[in-house]
Amino acid sequence: MVHRKLKISSAVLAAGFVLLLNEAAVAQADFTGTWAGIYHEDWPERLPGPELGEYTGLPINEAARLQADSYDPDRYSVVQEFQCRPHSMDYSLRGGSVPLRIWYELDQKTQRLAAVRTRVQWMEMERTIYMDGRAHPPEGAPHTWQGFSTGEWIGRMLKVTTTHLKTSYLRRNGVPRSDKATVTEHWVRHGKYLTIVSHVDDPVFLDEPMVLSQTWALEPELVMTPFPCTPEPEVPMPEGTVPHYLPGTNEASARVSELYGLPLYVVRGGAETMYPQFRDLIDSEDIQTPLQCTRYCRCSALAPCRNR
Amino acid sequence: MNTARIDLCCLLRFCLLLQGAVLASIPSAEAQRLVGMNSQSVETRTPRESAPVDITGYWESVISEDYRYRMFIPGRRDYAGIALTEEGRARADRWDPERDASEDNACLAYGVGNIMRMPGRLHIRWDGDSTLVVETDHGRQERQLRFEPFLWNASSVRTLQGDSRAEWGRRSLSVETRNMSPSYIRRNGVPLSENAVVMEYFYHRIHPDGTPWFTVTTVIHDSRNLRRPYYTSSDFRKLDNGDDWNPQPCVSEWGPHKDRVLRPAVERVIDRLD
Repeated sequence: MVHRKLKISSAVLAAGFVLLLNEAAVAQADFTGTWAGIYHEDWPERLPGPELGEYTGLPINEAARLQADSYDPDRYSVVQEFQCRPHSMDYSLRGGSVPLRIWYELDQKTQRLAAVRTRVQWMEMERTIYMDGRAHPPEGAPHTWQGFSTGEWIGRMLKVTTTHLKTSYLRRNGVPRSDKATVTEHWVRHGKYLTIVSHVDDPVFLDEPMVLSQTWALEPELVMTPFPCTPEPEVPMPEGTVPHYLPGTNEASARVSELYGLPLYVVRGGAETMYPQFRDLIDSEDIQTPLQCTRYCRCSALAPCRNR
Repeated sequence: MNTARIDLCCLLRFCLLLQGAVLASIPSAEAQRLVGMNSQSVETRTPRESAPVDITGYWESVISEDYRYRMFIPGRRDYAGIALTEEGRARADRWDPERDASEDNACLAYGVGNIMRMPGRLHIRWDGDSTLVVETDHGRQERQLRFEPFLWNASSVRTLQGDSRAEWGRRSLSVETRNMSPSYIRRNGVPLSENAVVMEYFYHRIHPDGTPWFTVTTVIHDSRNLRRPYYTSSDFRKLDNGDDWNPQPCVSEWGPHKDRVLRPAVERVIDRLD
């Protein structure tokens, strides 16, 4: 009798330990499913798009401002090569790229988690986050829109490190991010909500890490549809034309300054503008916030939104 | 009997092997914490002792999102991103910063629904073994996150910060707050009702350069004013010490809100962007 009880106990305990081992080694949190983006933060920037020349809250340097000032959105209408270009991995977390689908790939032999895969609807972008402990390739390896990502578990948090990104943008108004950047993400799930916090470290265009956070809601019924894209000339221009601004000719930041009643040095961004002590450096007389909102005032969804 | 002894022996070896394998598969700090747990009963450990991460100390907010809404007071009726009910919108439309200032309501934007969005510093410390205190220098607010179970009493005195119940998760902290007095969730008078429930999830992490950070994801449920829950996430970076701690009173009006007439050039830009 004792012998039988011990056998049963050992089987139960062994099963429990195997489950514990499995949980620790395979997947510490389940991020799989189809997720809908939540755009409550930075709504005007993320959905309709940022104002040209608005760099508020970005820890950018002068080189980034110079390049951003050269940006003319008409280039998308003129230069066909831009038209079907996907967002890079870091911006796709911010922009209206959703739905986001996440699934796991297991190693067939070990049944361990080999990779976390993602796909967003916009431009049908797919990404692989390797979970098998492999190293990042050497600097000279090809750089892509999605970059090269590896992940590791920190408790139930997934930490993802991405390198080998192509040069792209931090904001949809031309603020650049270089191909030297490293993006570190932390994924956290709470109930049916997923939050991803990303740190972008870019030695070329940022003085400090740029920290942004995004939240999604699990929506199993959400349907992801194909997103074919065919470039075509929208505005006829002589071949080779790339709309742009030459240095010193773009007045967009000044217009934003006027529109929101903020000093130009606030609109132009910079690491020092992100911290509490920046409040003490601003002369309150410089703040001329309009009494009345004039743009996107009541918008909480893109489709029914009117500008006022 | 002999068979039973052999089984027990095998079981113990199996357990030790598996424990080693499990501990080897997780980070060393976490492993040490788990080993420590074996030597002390979970039931006897206080919330302070069982904290999976240390979020005490001085922290500063990093304002890289919702910049215009957080660093400054936006214009009247700027509700972008917030799905307001008709009632909520009507109440927000009645916002009057001058009245707030004159009626000594300057701290309405510093309530539990918006205090973590403010540009300021936090000082987080333990008060005893089961209450985390979160102080802010901007607006001089104090929150008490209580780990001991308690029931919310709707008839108790309500404050801007309400009554907060806290619970540790694995490397995270969950906080549920109720019983607050009415306040704002955006600095331009977007209302938070006294019946709202504010859920917060704190996640601690280390940046590759070694700096500790935490992000707090805030979910506001307020059916009176919001058509659906309102989500924000706010980032904080750890400070070495409290040298920059700079207590300031609440501010209800930032700079002159002049009734400006837009210059024609700006109107043209708006027309083009529209």
